[in-house]
Formats: sequence, structure tokens, C-alpha cells
Amino acid sequence: MSDAKMLLDASDREMSAAYMMWYRYSRKPAAVIGTLIVLSAIAMAVFAPWIAPHPKDVGTVVNFRARHHAPELAHLFGTDQVGRDILSRALFGMRVSLLLVLGVLGISVPVGTVLGLVAGYFGGWVERVITGLTNVMLAMPPLVLALAVSNLLEPTLTNAMLAITLQWWTWHARLIYAVSKSVAAEDYIEAARLSGAGPLHILFREILPNCVSVISVKTTLDAAFVILLGATLSFLGFGVKPPTPDLGSMVAAGRQFMPDYWGEVLCPGAAVLYVTLGFNLLGDGLRDMFDVES
Amino acid sequence: MTDALLQVEGLNVSFTTYGRTRQVLRDVSFSVAAGERVALIGETGSGKSVTAKAIIGTLPNAATITGGAIRLEGREVLHMPPGEREALKGTAFSLIMQDPLSSFNPVFLIGTHLDDVMRFADRRRGVRASRAERRDRIAAVLRRVQLADPERVMNSYPSELSGGMRQRVLIGLALLHQPKLLIADEPGTALDVTTQDEIMNLINQLVREEGMALLMITHNLGVVRKVADRVVVMHHGDIVETGDCHRILGAPAQDYTRALIDAVPPLYGPRVTTQALTEGAPIVEAGALTKTFGRRRSEFTAVREVSLTLRKGEIFGLAGESGSGKTTVARMMMGLLSPTTGQVTFHETPAKGRPLAQIVYQNPGTSLNPKRTVAQSLSVPLKALGKKGAVRQVRMQELMALVRLPVSYLGKYPHELSGGQKQRVAIARALAAEPKILILDEPTAALDVSVQKTVIDLLLQLREELGLTYFMISHDLSLMRNFCSRIAVMLRGEIVEEGATPDVFAAPEHPYTRALIAAIPVISDDEERMKPAVTDEERARTLVATTV
Repeated sequence: MSDAKMLLDASDREMSAAYMMWYRYSRKPAAVIGTLIVLSAIAMAVFAPWIAPHPKDVGTVVNFRARHHAPELAHLFGTDQVGRDILSRALFGMRVSLLLVLGVLGISVPVGTVLGLVAGYFGGWVERVITGLTNVMLAMPPLVLALAVSNLLEPTLTNAMLAITLQWWTWHARLIYAVSKSVAAEDYIEAARLSGAGPLHILFREILPNCVSVISVKTTLDAAFVILLGATLSFLGFGVKPPTPDLGSMVAAGRQFMPDYWGEVLCPGAAVLYVTLGFNLLGDGLRDMFDVES
Repeated sequence: MTDALLQVEGLNVSFTTYGRTRQVLRDVSFSVAAGERVALIGETGSGKSVTAKAIIGTLPNAATITGGAIRLEGREVLHMPPGEREALKGTAFSLIMQDPLSSFNPVFLIGTHLDDVMRFADRRRGVRASRAERRDRIAAVLRRVQLADPERVMNSYPSELSGGMRQRVLIGLALLHQPKLLIADEPGTALDVTTQDEIMNLINQLVREEGMALLMITHNLGVVRKVADRVVVMHHGDIVETGDCHRILGAPAQDYTRALIDAVPPLYGPRVTTQALTEGAPIVEAGALTKTFGRRRSEFTAVREVSLTLRKGEIFGLAGESGSGKTTVARMMMGLLSPTTGQVTFHETPAKGRPLAQIVYQNPGTSLNPKRTVAQSLSVPLKALGKKGAVRQVRMQELMALVRLPVSYLGKYPHELSGGQKQRVAIARALAAEPKILILDEPTAALDVSVQKTVIDLLLQLREELGLTYFMISHDLSLMRNFCSRIAVMLRGEIVEEGATPDVFAAPEHPYTRALIAAIPVISDDEERMKPAVTDEERARTLVATTV
């Protein structure tokens, strides 16, 4: 290591890791904006029943007299073909999108992480089986697989979640496998084994902490993809069943009335854009922030 | 001092990281006259490399020059237009880089690499030359650095050359345009001592023949004695003292310089400490160990028929250069690697659940988990021994006391500790498992020389207190001379010499041992004279050639 690098390191030694991370993060406007967007999106989804101007419109409400209202004060983005408030439905649609993210990543991240850790640390036939399975799953286009699964089953939120999850864990498994394999070769892993640590300790206490930064960056960026994929499925009619509002199916429904009633597409479309943009900015910010240790 | 080739005056540099500014160079002034050889020495963080980078103009973005001047041939370079300053590179001064492997792009042939450098420099200076002309000039330069077959070198990829040959090419690269000043940043540090010795001889010869001036940046005082006329000692960004090389090494005026010199393990003379040979019972016995890696065609025998006995309470040293098989032998003897043929016998069985041996690794930066605190790292072996709650806490505090670290460090992460402190934690972790044997795998190679001494002293004290047996693997013979009671020398997978340390150093029998000892950079002329004699024929027979 060069002397200059050492000097930089020496100055780092006087600061806490948390301070260095905060410093890097706070100097990235994009990351801060991303955080604000994601937090606001979550708030909108959680408090949808209270902030939506017409929360009743989420259900099977039909009010043909109010159909295709142009944007006005009572209906900021107008109403749809059965007279429901677009904005209210879009707010509830974000709820569905974020629930989908929670479900898909809540299952596939832990599953992928554990499989990746195990494959990278143990090697041998365990590694061959897990990486083989991962490669086979990765060979299938995610949208096609998701369409096939939701075609076989009923189009519900749970099934859409299942369809995406089935494929999603592979990305995490492959990523963590690579990190785990390189960490497993470090001296401190051998030292831990020599001093009597068992495989569970090594996997979860020694290797996993070194994967946390990679996992959190990947998960954040993934959230954006999952929202897009979920919206695509609903757009094609394989996602959430009506009348549950979903951003994808709202765009699909509003599409027929373009360009006259543009609010019907614009509002859910903008919501998708808003949330995905937020997650992407946050993901990039996290990547810069964690760069400290690598 | 108007005739100075390089003059650095009152140089101040500060680094800004995470919003905080620290001054790393304070009023650094020195000069290098034409044809003079100057060494800039100092430990980690002394600012020696920062000084070199400021001269070359490659400071990192975090650095700011806050004052001072750098003059090359009387011209101030700091305020020069970038284009003009660029034109100085390669002609007024040239740099020999430290790492012979990472300095080359692995996908280009050496010839392509050199041709690019030459073409760019020619374009800068408005010289027109054909490819064939450039090739002749390159071949001539490679011959200057004693590479016997320039054509073959030019048609090789970097990975096809040995480390020594790559270092020679790097030197050649610096010579392409007959610079007046050669700046060398720790050349040969990554190489074996014997290769390093050859590289220093080459640099010396080139500097003398071409009449170049040399600015050598190094932490190795032995190297300094070999290649410098004058020495500039740096410490924490300040110049401690400047003077004639022999005067500084022989009679330093400053305490810091004296401490630095005292920390260098002596090879011969009155300062050498000899560890008494202990006639303990054998703990581990290895019989005719052979280890072969790879299969059939790519088969490689790393260790051949090695028999060794480790005795209780001794400090055994296994010496050898990189690739000699010393680490493989150590791992087989400790049961971490199974031999292809041969056997290991343990004469002492450890108490239930307790390992016989623990390892202290070379680089404390990679042997401690960066995400775990000192306490968490220490708790692993303690947990394995069934120590819980308050007992574990007390034991941790004892261990910290044992390695002379404050108990408050238990809560720190490795990146908050210095290299020496990290190595102490690594030693504490090894001791926590209560082993009988400690394997020391180059335990001080990654540390500064003054820190190295404190770690070695600690290890010697611990052996007294705990009755441990040490098995040390190292390439640093002068360190082993002072630390080991018995040593064995390995060459290409075989043990060529074994005996009590003083005997081996007083009268080395095998030519390789002699060549190895002769190559060690020492800091006094007396020691140089006491080195064993090696003939060129012996050297050629035992050392890896770096010229063909």
C-alpha cells in the first residue's frame, strides 16, 4: 500500500465508520432526494386511507354520472370510466406496489442470501448444485416465467408475488455467492475456524456482516425493478384482480381513453416513475456510502 | 545551491478527508544535485511518498499544496502550465514504480507497452520515428537493464516474466529518454531479498554510468546504505535530519533516527541477540513430507521429502524465499493440509477441545474480520472453550493485558487500530485458544521496522510467561538471526540446511544459504564484511535468474 493511501487511512482511523458513511451520504444530493422520495412514497401508501380525497372509490363504486371528469379541484387527476377518483386509486395502488416489493424481497433476499453464503463457503457439490440451479433459473426470462405462473394460478397479489419471487432469489444468490466465496478465502475465516468456530458462526457472524452493504444496495435497486415488473404484470392483466387498484392495471384501463382523458394514464404512470426513481437514487446513494469499507 | 538539479523548498501539503484537514508535510526542504544519490527514508505516514508525488505531480485529489516551491533545473514546476510540466516527465525526471506486476496492463505485450510510452514521449517532443527505429531503441534500453534477450522480453506478456524481470523492465521504462533524475519509489520491496539485491546493484550501476541523479524513497535502511550518498530522514511530515549516509547510519544526531537504526535487527556484531537452544522433548515430528499440487500434466511438487522435528519450548524458524514451500510445510505439520506422502506425528495431545496450534498471520489487515470488534474477534475462541459471561469478560481483559493493549480497545473495530495494534489483537486471539504452539507466518512483514521490534519483543516475553513453542516462517534472515533458536533453510521444496541459528550464520554450508545471507541489506560496513563469500557460479546455480 502506498504511503499516501496510508496517510488517508490514518486520518480515517480517528473517525467512526458511521461518521464517514454519513459524510459521504450527505454530500450526495441524489441520495438525499432518493431517501425523501422513498419515505414520502411509503408515507403515502401507509396513510392512503386518510390522505386520499375519495377513499371509498377504491372499492366497487360505480358513479356513471361522474365518469371521465376532467381534472378539477375535487378530482385532481379527474375520474375514470366508472367515475372513480384517479388520485385516490393511485394512492392505494402504491400500497399494492410496495406490498409487492415487501413480499417479493422479504422472501427472495433471505433465501438468496443464505443459499449464496452456503454455496460460497462450503464449495464442492453444494456449490455445484446451488450455482447450477441458479443458472437454470436465470436462463428463464423473468416476465415469461411470471406470466406462466400467474396464468396457471388466479391473478391475485399473492400469486403475482409468488411468480416474481420464484425467479428473484437467484440474483441475490449469485451476488452473495461471489462475495461469500471471496470472503471465505480471507485469513480471518481460517483463523475463526482454527479457534473452534462452527459453520453457522462463520456463515452468519463472520461472512454475512461483510455482505450487508452489497445486500442493501442490491435490495434497494431491486425494489424499483419489482415495482416495474409488478406493474407490467398488472398492465398485461396477470396481476392484481379488479377492483383492487393497481398502478399497472390503471394505466392499462386509462390507455383506451388517451389522449382525451390523459390524467387517467398520467397519474398512475407518474406514481410508478416517482417510486422507481426514488429507489434507484437511494440505491446509488447507498452504494457511494458503503464504498468506505471496500 | 544554485546548481541543484532538484530543489524542494518549504513544501507544505495537507489532506482533506471527510471535511477535516490535516497537514501531512511541514516545511519540507531538501535538494538533489546532479549525479547525486539521495534517499528519502521514513516509516508509514512519514510523508515520504507524498513528497515524491508532489514532485512528480500525482498527488491524490484530497491533497492540496499549501506552500513552498519545487524547482527542477532552476525552474519552478508548481506554477508551470500543465502542458509544460507534462513535458518534463520522462526527460527531466523519470519514475521507477514499486509494484512490478500492477504497473503493467496484463493484456498487452511488454513490447507494445514500451512502444506506447516511447511514442507518446516522442510526440510530446515533436520527434518522428518509425516503428522499427523505436524497436531498436527499446531493445537497446532492455539490454542496458541486463535483460539478455530483448526480443523475447518484448514478445512476452507481463505474466510470463518473473518479478525480477518485470522490475528490470520497469527500470528500462524509466530510462527510455535519458532522464537527469531518477525517482524510485520503494523498488524491489515486493521481491525476494536476493532479487532485490540484484535490482539495487543494477540501479547503482545505471546511475553511475549515465550520470543520473537518484531520489530513492524507501523504509529499508539497509537499502539506503547501498544506494545513497545522502539521506533525508522524515517523520510525521517533518524532516528530522539530513546528512551524509555514513554519518547518519553511523552516528545519527537525532533520537528518532537512532531509534530507527536500533530497531533494525542486526545480522552480525555485538548487537545480535542469540536465543539459547532448548533441548525439549519433540512435540511434532514430520517424516519425509511430500506435497504435490495439480494433476498429471500440470503437476507441481511444492515440498519434497522434508523431515523436521519441532521441540518443546524452542523457536524454530523455517527460512526461504517466495515459492520455496515453507508455508506448505508449516501447514502440513499443523494438520491444516494433508501431505501427499509422508506423515506427521504429534507427541503431545492437547486437552479436550483445545487446539495444539494457532496461527499469527502475516497481514493483520486481512486476518481480522473488518466487521467485528476486537471483543467479538476474541470471543470466538473463548466461546469454543466454553467460557461464558463474566468468565469470558475477565479472560478478555487478561488477554488484552497480555498483549499490552488497553482494555478500552475491546470495543474498537480493526480499522480504528494501527498495524502494530492489529497484530497484537491477532496474537491475543491466537493465545485465547490456549495453544501449545504458535505458528508465526511472517508476523512482522507488514509492519514498520520500529513496530516490528515491539511485536518481536512481545512475542519473546509471551514465550517466557506462557511456555510456548514457536514455529516461524519468514524470508527475513536478519530477523530470524535474532529471534530463532534453530533454523532450517528451504530451497525449491527441499531443506538444504538446518542447525542452531548462530552456527548456520557463522558458517553456512550450502551455497544458497550463503547467497541468501549475502543478499541481506545491512546497515554497517562491519556487517557487510562479515557476510559469507559467494562465488558467481554458486549464485547462478542456486538463485532464479532474473535476466533471461
